[in-house]
Amino acid sequence: MTRLLKMAWRNCWRNKRRTLITAASIFFAVFFAIIMRSFQLGTYGHMIRQSIEMFSGYLQVQNPEYYDDPHLDHSITYNAQMMDTLTKYPGVKVAVPRVEAFALVSTGNQSKGVMVIGIDPVKETSVSNPEHFIVNYRMTPGKAKLLMQELEFTDKEKELLKMYENSVYNNLERLFDDLTLNDEKRTKYRPNFEKHLFYKSNYLVPDDSGVLISSKLAQFLNVEVGDTLVMIGQGFQGHSAADLFPVRGMVRVPAPDLDNKLIYTSLNKSQSFFNLENRITSIILNLKDPDDMLLVQKELSDLLDSKNYVVKNWQELNPTLKQQIEGDNKSGQMFVGILYFIIFFGIFGTVLMMVSERRREFGVLVAIGMRKRLLIGVVVIEMFFIGFMGTLSGFLAAIPLVVWFRQFPITFTGEMAKMYEDMGFDPIMPTAPVEGYFTWQAVVILIMVLIACYIPLQKIRKMKLMEALRE
Amino acid sequence: MKVIEISNLHKTYSESELEVRAVDGITLDFEEGEFAAIVGPSGSGKTTLLNMIGGLDVPTSGEVLVGGSLMSELKDSELTDFRLNNIGFVFQAYNLIPVLTVKENTEFVMRLQGKKDEECEKRSNELLKAVGLEERINARPVKLSGGQQQRVAVARALAAKPKFVLADEPTANLDSKSTETLLEIMERLNREENITFIFSTHDARVVKKARRIITLEDGKIINDVRKNGGE
Repeated sequence: MTRLLKMAWRNCWRNKRRTLITAASIFFAVFFAIIMRSFQLGTYGHMIRQSIEMFSGYLQVQNPEYYDDPHLDHSITYNAQMMDTLTKYPGVKVAVPRVEAFALVSTGNQSKGVMVIGIDPVKETSVSNPEHFIVNYRMTPGKAKLLMQELEFTDKEKELLKMYENSVYNNLERLFDDLTLNDEKRTKYRPNFEKHLFYKSNYLVPDDSGVLISSKLAQFLNVEVGDTLVMIGQGFQGHSAADLFPVRGMVRVPAPDLDNKLIYTSLNKSQSFFNLENRITSIILNLKDPDDMLLVQKELSDLLDSKNYVVKNWQELNPTLKQQIEGDNKSGQMFVGILYFIIFFGIFGTVLMMVSERRREFGVLVAIGMRKRLLIGVVVIEMFFIGFMGTLSGFLAAIPLVVWFRQFPITFTGEMAKMYEDMGFDPIMPTAPVEGYFTWQAVVILIMVLIACYIPLQKIRKMKLMEALRE
Repeated sequence: MKVIEISNLHKTYSESELEVRAVDGITLDFEEGEFAAIVGPSGSGKTTLLNMIGGLDVPTSGEVLVGGSLMSELKDSELTDFRLNNIGFVFQAYNLIPVLTVKENTEFVMRLQGKKDEECEKRSNELLKAVGLEERINARPVKLSGGQQQRVAVARALAAKPKFVLADEPTANLDSKSTETLLEIMERLNREENITFIFSTHDARVVKKARRIITLEDGKIINDVRKNGGE
């Protein structure tokens, strides 16, 4: 066997240029396929992590009827023993209770239907972490004018200042990005921006009776931190709910549709407002290993009383996101498929040429006693060597980039960044870690080599000895 | 002891409407240890006869019995194995495997037979010494002269200790000195190892060394002479 491998290896280098060109085509296919898939899978992972882990959780424990009819009457009993069981369950990283309901909010002449989320302010920091979205800076037309008087801006920067004169920010960097300020101006202008735009906004404390209001909703209702909202709604089993809620802080939620209608309050306050007593609408579960999601879902479903509780995963809770990812994933796979299809013809051409130009030699080998089966084996090994060289070099070239961009993802700026943020995602494009999709590239190359070898190898199998020897 | 028995062998090629009888009813046998030359003008059927004896070509009719095996009854893979274990080939164009060294080429057939490393090593060393190439064992064929390549081909043909060696115009591409050396080697191996050698040739120097000369013309034997007497 070693000798056949040696022979196959040497055969590969009989026509160095052809071998190198074929290996190079495989290299480029593998390299681009890995880089593309890595960014794609990394972005999916990031999207899932952000939208799932940060909001809905990988799993949710709900009333069996809540998903189809999200009414407070379909809430579940919240007790410490159950939370303890879920929190300590192997595979569960964190379990957080929530009340999610709708109400009408009013200030003066303005009213709007809003989504009210009752949270445990401490526990929620390990899931959606609203504290992260607290507004710390606020631009107004007056502040924008003041800044323009104090500082020097280009015409384009002035235009942008006017464009963003009613915006709020979690941090100044994002505002500087919007204004496209260079590093020098960022450093120089920071004190003025800090002085004029700082906005005092607080996070909730446990049992807080106030609310956090989303920035666009605040703008619509024309409310400030410290103002009071009137909220009216329908509570558990038809009880009417009405109360006054002081605004403790403002959050800029990175999803425009939510930023228009979101109000956070403490779990206790939401339970008393909606007359829920010890009931909640869902328990959000994040997992230690998301790959175990289905297993943990099944185990918890078996553990909990199925009459009163159902465990749903993020794909069931958010089918739209799942479909978006699947659709995008399919298009990515198709692109890689086309890439490999083109490369396939390169491999096919090489093996066909190798077999055609060595027909006489093959005839001699069979004449002196080499079985055709063995000969076919040698040619297949030759092709595998070429495939292996291309694949390995593709891996070696791709791995550093994959690792680098995993550590330091591509960060979008400008409009692209805004687009990402508007969709509720960080404007970054990370790669996926080096894992299963690498193996798939090798498997695809292996299959391609096998298919490409089929017709040429049939030629060897059907080779007429005398015809081959006469060539 | 007869190693090859040929009876009423025919080989006909059809080219458009023309029928060419390359071998036309040859009956012939070879004894163990013969050193025979098949001679005749181009197109007389020498190579075709040799190819059918070696199981490389299939007769139109007639039988070739080699070492008790009827060649026409063997399947493709059985024929390959038969050639591997019984026949050594020396081709006019040497046909060495270009990616293998002199030693590896010599050992190749033995490796196919599954012989052990030590045995392959010992036999190839013996043969390469016998053909005078012990100094070039690691050279690739491309680095050798035509005569040297043909000597490697002879070593390869003999490596697996075949019952007989078929050599198709082995000296056609060699100069006279190389031809002389090659013939001496083959004659010595024939004598020492009692291996039957059958050549097809035009070369008078080969004919001179052969102990039996079979002359073909138009696919028929017109003369069969044994130098040590008897026709």
